[in-house]
Amino acid sequence: MSHLPPIGVWIAAFLTLSALSFLYKDNPFFRFAESLFAGVSLGYYVGITLDQTLVPNLIEPMQQDFGKHWDLLVPGLLGVLLYMRYFPRIGWVSRYALAIYVTYYIGLDFTRRLHGEAMPQIARVIVALPGPNPLAFVFVVGVLSVLVYFFFSMEQGPVTRRISRLGIWFLMISFGAAFGFTVMGRVALLIGRLNFLILDWIYPILGI
Amino acid sequence: MSFDFGRVALVLCFAIVPIIGIFLGLNAPGLRSRGPILVGVVAGIVPILAMYIPKGFVSGPEGMGPRLDNWLIILAGFALLLGIVNVLQNNFKKIGRRESGWFFSVVLLTGLFVTGGFGVYGALSGVGIGFNPDGSPTPFKYMTDWFFQPLQSTIFALLAFFMASAAFRAFRARNVEATILLIAAGLVMLGRVPILEFLAVPFPFFHAAAASGSQALGKLTEWIMDVPNGAAQSGIIIGAALGAASMAIRVILGIERGYLGLGKGE
Amino acid sequence: MRAFLERLLRLDRRWIFLFVLLSVAIPIVIPLGLPVTTTESTRKAFEFIEAMKPGDTVLISFDYGPSSAPENDPMAEAVMRQCAIRKLRFIVIALYPLGGLNLASNAVAKVVAEYPDLKYGVDYVNLGYKDGASAVMRRMGDDIAGAFPTDEAGTPLAQIPMMKGIASLRQVQLVFTVATGIIGEWWITQVHPQVGTPIIIGPTAVSAPKYYAFLNSGQLEGMLGGMKGAAEYEKLMRAAHPEMERFYGSTRDFTATKGMDGQTVMHTVVLLFILLGNLAFFLTQKRAVR
Repeated sequence: MSHLPPIGVWIAAFLTLSALSFLYKDNPFFRFAESLFAGVSLGYYVGITLDQTLVPNLIEPMQQDFGKHWDLLVPGLLGVLLYMRYFPRIGWVSRYALAIYVTYYIGLDFTRRLHGEAMPQIARVIVALPGPNPLAFVFVVGVLSVLVYFFFSMEQGPVTRRISRLGIWFLMISFGAAFGFTVMGRVALLIGRLNFLILDWIYPILGI
Repeated sequence: MSFDFGRVALVLCFAIVPIIGIFLGLNAPGLRSRGPILVGVVAGIVPILAMYIPKGFVSGPEGMGPRLDNWLIILAGFALLLGIVNVLQNNFKKIGRRESGWFFSVVLLTGLFVTGGFGVYGALSGVGIGFNPDGSPTPFKYMTDWFFQPLQSTIFALLAFFMASAAFRAFRARNVEATILLIAAGLVMLGRVPILEFLAVPFPFFHAAAASGSQALGKLTEWIMDVPNGAAQSGIIIGAALGAASMAIRVILGIERGYLGLGKGE
Repeated sequence: MRAFLERLLRLDRRWIFLFVLLSVAIPIVIPLGLPVTTTESTRKAFEFIEAMKPGDTVLISFDYGPSSAPENDPMAEAVMRQCAIRKLRFIVIALYPLGGLNLASNAVAKVVAEYPDLKYGVDYVNLGYKDGASAVMRRMGDDIAGAFPTDEAGTPLAQIPMMKGIASLRQVQLVFTVATGIIGEWWITQVHPQVGTPIIIGPTAVSAPKYYAFLNSGQLEGMLGGMKGAAEYEKLMRAAHPEMERFYGSTRDFTATKGMDGQTVMHTVVLLFILLGNLAFFLTQKRAVR
């Protein structure tokens, strides 16, 4: 005796098959799924941003204790200012909000790049050379040759050309490895969808 | 009302200065670019200084740094929704002119308004956008579970097919570099999954050999990932980090202005 | 042989698609039960959490969306189960805009249903989603309530008993970021150097190769790379906690371990495709040279 899955599962199964139908050829079902995806995604942004960020971090603090949080008016107004770009005559005023937004996050990125990326990675190369493992030498040669490839890409003498060629080989090994990993990632997504179709939709219909 | 120094300094820099800049900019077009760049310099430097200056007004609980972090969480929310206006404009135009495929614009806008509408209702009514107290989903969550999630997953799952097709048609050992790439990819693919065991399923007498072969391939893969791949990734990270850090300085100091829609001379 | 390969190269790609579809679908219907070998990065992650003291706090950040859920969901669930068994408290947040929150809420609901003893606000809490990921991380380094004034449902943090002793990330003993892209990396490159909290990452397979550099430099305590990493973690969980068999021994439900069957078949197919493609390429090239 089959036990029909809930309506939500049927909707999801229909949308899954509509999206997969692109593999046969472009068709109205796929375009329907694609357009719905774009719309629902944007609607999702609206919901989470309002419910999870703007209400708890902007509106509620000011409602509950304006004296303590009066300054939050500023990011609220800057947020509105961002949208002025859609009014061509006064679009330039949005540059103030955009400048604050972009440079603040770039400032964070600056600290991250130096503190979290360049310094620890350089330190790792300096420490590795006298290490007990002779293979560590391969690591150091790899890092340095890749860097030579990056930084001497404009002018190359016979030595730097050979070193940067070695750097390219290290990069190729890395890209090859990345391809191997990418296969796994992409297949995982398909496994997920087919698991849904088979385990959550077809099996319950068949009563399995 | 609390008027601690950090807070007032922020309001001065990011509200009073822009307001003055906007008023002056109405009559002096040159200020329309210089004002934002000046404000941008301060916004970029505050989070950096907050790491190094242990003074209350900069990095204390109500100092400029933490307060600015709070502000920018809110501003990021507004920025996330910025693209929606464009989508609305384009799709309403398409529907108004009955351009080809206008029906799909109707579908897109329906999806946007229904999901977004449930989201706005959930946020403003206090119902929320997750589970109801009885464990049932809110309308927004229902849309997310049964429309948004399957669509996003499936559209990305299509990549598996194209990747397999590309492996068949385009992944060629044309020269030394491509051959190295191909061998590394092959070894990693062999070492990450028990292919030998899979191939040995019909042949029980090969099971032990397949298992030890698989172990050895797994170890080789780990070495490739740790050493040559780790080295290349470290090189990429160091190179990219130094490049990005110098670019960050150019943006913060207003030398690079492309993001404001300005050329170098403006 | 060459004529056959040339014909094969001209094959309509829809046949390839059908072949791919069957290669993944058949192992779901008929599980192969292939073995999973563990790697050091996963073992390190597992052992780090096993060694934590009861009452310690793990922050689990859902930095991925439905586009990579089959890889990331099993990781998040496994670590939450481990927290439940080891009596570790866990804080759930989501920083990935496109679907992270929904996956977080679903994963929490699933694991909490498995462990009815877990009390909301005492053993675990779901703080929800926040925009501006790197600003959020920075704020959490000083003051979690500054970034998350309320939990996902709108309850102020001050009213949640578990959060009383946890003012900032400095009182969190581990961050586990389950990530699809750059946000996971920020935990390593921003929070770890600036706050000092240990980080374990569960990235998608696509981004995993990069994290070997961070494992090498000691910026990461461990890594679960893609579906394979999740399957390894499930194996370690089964070995250390026999009661896990009820989740990971099932042939009906989806697990990363089961997913690895499909992965193995597809990897074989892709390798075969590459081999055939190159064979045809070289044979036709040889003829062109002649």
